[in-house]
Amino acid sequence: MAQKASSKYDPTFAKEVFEKVDSGEEIKKCMQCGVCAASCPLADKMEFSPRKIFTMIRAGERQKVLASKDIMLCTSCYTCIVRCPRKVPVMEVMHGLAHHALRSGFVPRKESSKFGKAFWDCIYKTGRVDEGVAARNYYLADGLVAGAKRGLEMKDIALNMLKHKRMNIMSAIPGIQGKKIKNIATLQKMLDKAEAMGKGGSK
Amino acid sequence: MDKKLGVYVCKGCGIGDAINVEALSEAIEGLDVTPHLFKDVPVLCSKEGVDTIKADIEGEGINAVVVAACSPRVLYDVFDFPGCLLERVNLREGVTWCQPPGEEDTQMMANDYLRLGITKISKSELPEPFKPEEEISKRIMVVGGGMAGLTAALEGAKAGYEVVLVEKEAELGGWKAKFYKEFSAPYNDIHDLSVTSLIQQVQGHDKIKVYTASEIDKTAGGPGLYSVDIKSNGGSAQEKIGAIVMATGWKPYDPSNLEHLGYGKFKNVVTNIQMEEMAKAGKIVRPSDGGPVKKVGFIQCAGSRDPERLPYCSAVCCLATMKQATYLKQMDADSQAYVVYKDIRTPMQTEDLYRKVQRDGAVFIRGEVESVSEQGGSLVIEAMDVLLNDKVRLEELDLVVLATGMVPTSMPAEIPKKEMPAEGGGTELREVAPDSGFFSTPALRLQYRQGPEIPTLKYGFPDSHFVCFPYETRRTGIYAAGVAHRPMDSTQAKSDAAGAMLKAIQVVEATAVGAAVHPRSGDMTYPDFFMQRCTQCKRCTEECPFGAINEDEKGNPLPNPTRCRRCGVCMGACPERIISFKNYSVGMIGSMIKSIHIPEEDEEKPRAVVLVCENDAYPALDMAGLQKLRYSPFVRVIPMRCLGGLNLVWIADALSRGVDGILLLGCRHGDDYQCHFIKGSELATTRLSKVAETLNRLALESERVKVEEVSIADAHRIPEILNEFMETLEGIGPNPYKGW
Repeated sequence: MAQKASSKYDPTFAKEVFEKVDSGEEIKKCMQCGVCAASCPLADKMEFSPRKIFTMIRAGERQKVLASKDIMLCTSCYTCIVRCPRKVPVMEVMHGLAHHALRSGFVPRKESSKFGKAFWDCIYKTGRVDEGVAARNYYLADGLVAGAKRGLEMKDIALNMLKHKRMNIMSAIPGIQGKKIKNIATLQKMLDKAEAMGKGGSK
Repeated sequence: MDKKLGVYVCKGCGIGDAINVEALSEAIEGLDVTPHLFKDVPVLCSKEGVDTIKADIEGEGINAVVVAACSPRVLYDVFDFPGCLLERVNLREGVTWCQPPGEEDTQMMANDYLRLGITKISKSELPEPFKPEEEISKRIMVVGGGMAGLTAALEGAKAGYEVVLVEKEAELGGWKAKFYKEFSAPYNDIHDLSVTSLIQQVQGHDKIKVYTASEIDKTAGGPGLYSVDIKSNGGSAQEKIGAIVMATGWKPYDPSNLEHLGYGKFKNVVTNIQMEEMAKAGKIVRPSDGGPVKKVGFIQCAGSRDPERLPYCSAVCCLATMKQATYLKQMDADSQAYVVYKDIRTPMQTEDLYRKVQRDGAVFIRGEVESVSEQGGSLVIEAMDVLLNDKVRLEELDLVVLATGMVPTSMPAEIPKKEMPAEGGGTELREVAPDSGFFSTPALRLQYRQGPEIPTLKYGFPDSHFVCFPYETRRTGIYAAGVAHRPMDSTQAKSDAAGAMLKAIQVVEATAVGAAVHPRSGDMTYPDFFMQRCTQCKRCTEECPFGAINEDEKGNPLPNPTRCRRCGVCMGACPERIISFKNYSVGMIGSMIKSIHIPEEDEEKPRAVVLVCENDAYPALDMAGLQKLRYSPFVRVIPMRCLGGLNLVWIADALSRGVDGILLLGCRHGDDYQCHFIKGSELATTRLSKVAETLNRLALESERVKVEEVSIADAHRIPEILNEFMETLEGIGPNPYKGW
């Protein structure tokens, strides 16, 4: 028998999830049928399926859940939400858990969090996604040398995008921002509010 | 009765194209009765067709009508001539639709069926309904004053019937009244007890007579004629009753068998019933020290779904736990419930209550409890969590509630024993079988030869056919309702009780006009005993599945026609063949078999008599016809009320006349029997096991007689069964008795 089994079914973590994770309280409705796990296209890449994540939350496995890369694997395909017989927004809970993990100092999946940050920054600053800028900032997150190396690896795609006017050559230069939308301040105000509510954000 | 016979052949639905009506009229020459009229009509079920028959009944004095058209299972409301004998000859499903048109064999088949029909009607008499000397009572007795009993009584009274309600305890309400709260629709919350208002309505109803603190001392008679002695506190009363609704309810599963879950070992391990009593008393506390209860572990399926303990699911324990978890939270918002379960079973809208408890924050742990132990004055549950795939420990529990199941009150604490004949002569004390009337806990104390109580299944619930007639017990006129019937919640018990009361009303109304209830509803015949030739062998009293025949000290049968379901099992049982019905007798089927035309051996047209159960096998044959499935033209189908009516003399008669083989199609028997008369097909099989003797005497092969089990859904198997049998017969060769 597991030595620390007495820590199982400690309700503290479940309470934390209900209060602090976006849509966290919805997992109370889960009846562990496993339809989400059976529907998830990434299930074979996961150590813990969404169903298992939920039961681990109830059992109080904070460390295991927040450090699990599985909560960051969600591609937002919505299949689980469509199929859940109890109408648990599984996908939203997974995103909520990912944000909560990042806020709580866990980085379950480095690549995902870096990309997320680059993406969010881009939107926050200009109100739109500029492929060049988002990609550049993502590559540079690991430093200049690593960034340049990865950028060169992608050069064929970049050249093709340039040829079809899908990317601005200027955006490859560090420090250059894409074109801003009108009234960007209004958008930023909205995004700040959303982040304060626990939805989205990259910090 | 002087019969004036009219034969009407329909030419519709393809019959006219497949069969030569002229030849048909010639084929029936030489029978015992000659028809007064023989007519063919283009469409017999049309208004013109039916009017033709009606005109002949009026104008020509026809009093026996043979309708040679479709199956007797259809259009019975169209071909209905009160005061006339009627026989339906199945030329559509039985011949036209399963045989190639215009062929010689098809014609021979139709000829034989018409001969069978005419022979049958010539041996039939109009039934006279059974009218007992005593007046038929339409009062209905409800035994048990719980949720089901109260509902049944109220529904009966509302429908205008006088009801006598007998309750063992001093107060009405049963278990339900002892509870704190109930779960009922809408299931999004728990509610105050509805039984309180039900008790008031019953007590205030002028058509309901309530006996509390009373028991039934004796129930004599049969449907419509029951005489019930009721023993009350210090007195006794007698009531005339027409039908009985048995709502004797349930008792909780004995928790002393749950020591493995800590019951009896730790004071803070209680059953869900004790939890309910605690809540009703006002406060949920630790029984050990009266301390507050903060953390509660519920163990589902405590003893249930366990082959060693209570093998079935009681269907309510999950909901009882949901209810208790809900009021636990209502009484103390800080309390925490843990539910360890195998499966949560909250069917239909009751799922709402499960969702509510989940929203309230109860933790559900799926798995097996491995142990319940005590640690520092609190309880600990160790369980294997199958969802985490890990062992878990629930610590510091103030209370563990065992969700125990329901056992019917009819289930005796100990299996009763009875003096039975021993193998080596004399008698010995042996345990009685559940499906004997001596098994159940005393409740009705019936004066039946087959025992004082209702035969039950292995779990102690009264036997009934769940699909075909869920309410009926093996005693006509007695209907089980509520948890006496099967485990269920109070909402289901209410509708079950209303249904059982409706069946009780049907039986008193049918008995009042002398008719049978299902499956032969409306049948006015009943068995006649030619007592002068009775040898007191007791086979009829022994074999009647419904206890309709008692016997006196000398062994003479004492029929109770209102208990009878008209299956004819007694008729098949009687070695002297003295039991018959007005339109169904050993002699009649014998004559029918004899009226089948047997071709000469060199014609190479074998003949097989197929005796079929009219409840399942006959409809399956009809459906084979409906699906236009072809089968051998050499079979001759004779429907029987039940294969249990099989008399071996028919086999001897048929074989000695040159019939090549006899096939019996009956229902499945055994534990999951499908026989409407419980043991009919089983009895037929037993009787046939003795047929080898007859066959040997005639120097014939035993393969000539065979029984097959056919269910109503087996139409697709019919051609295979019939053709295979005919192939077997061809292999054996023709019956040497042909032409004798």
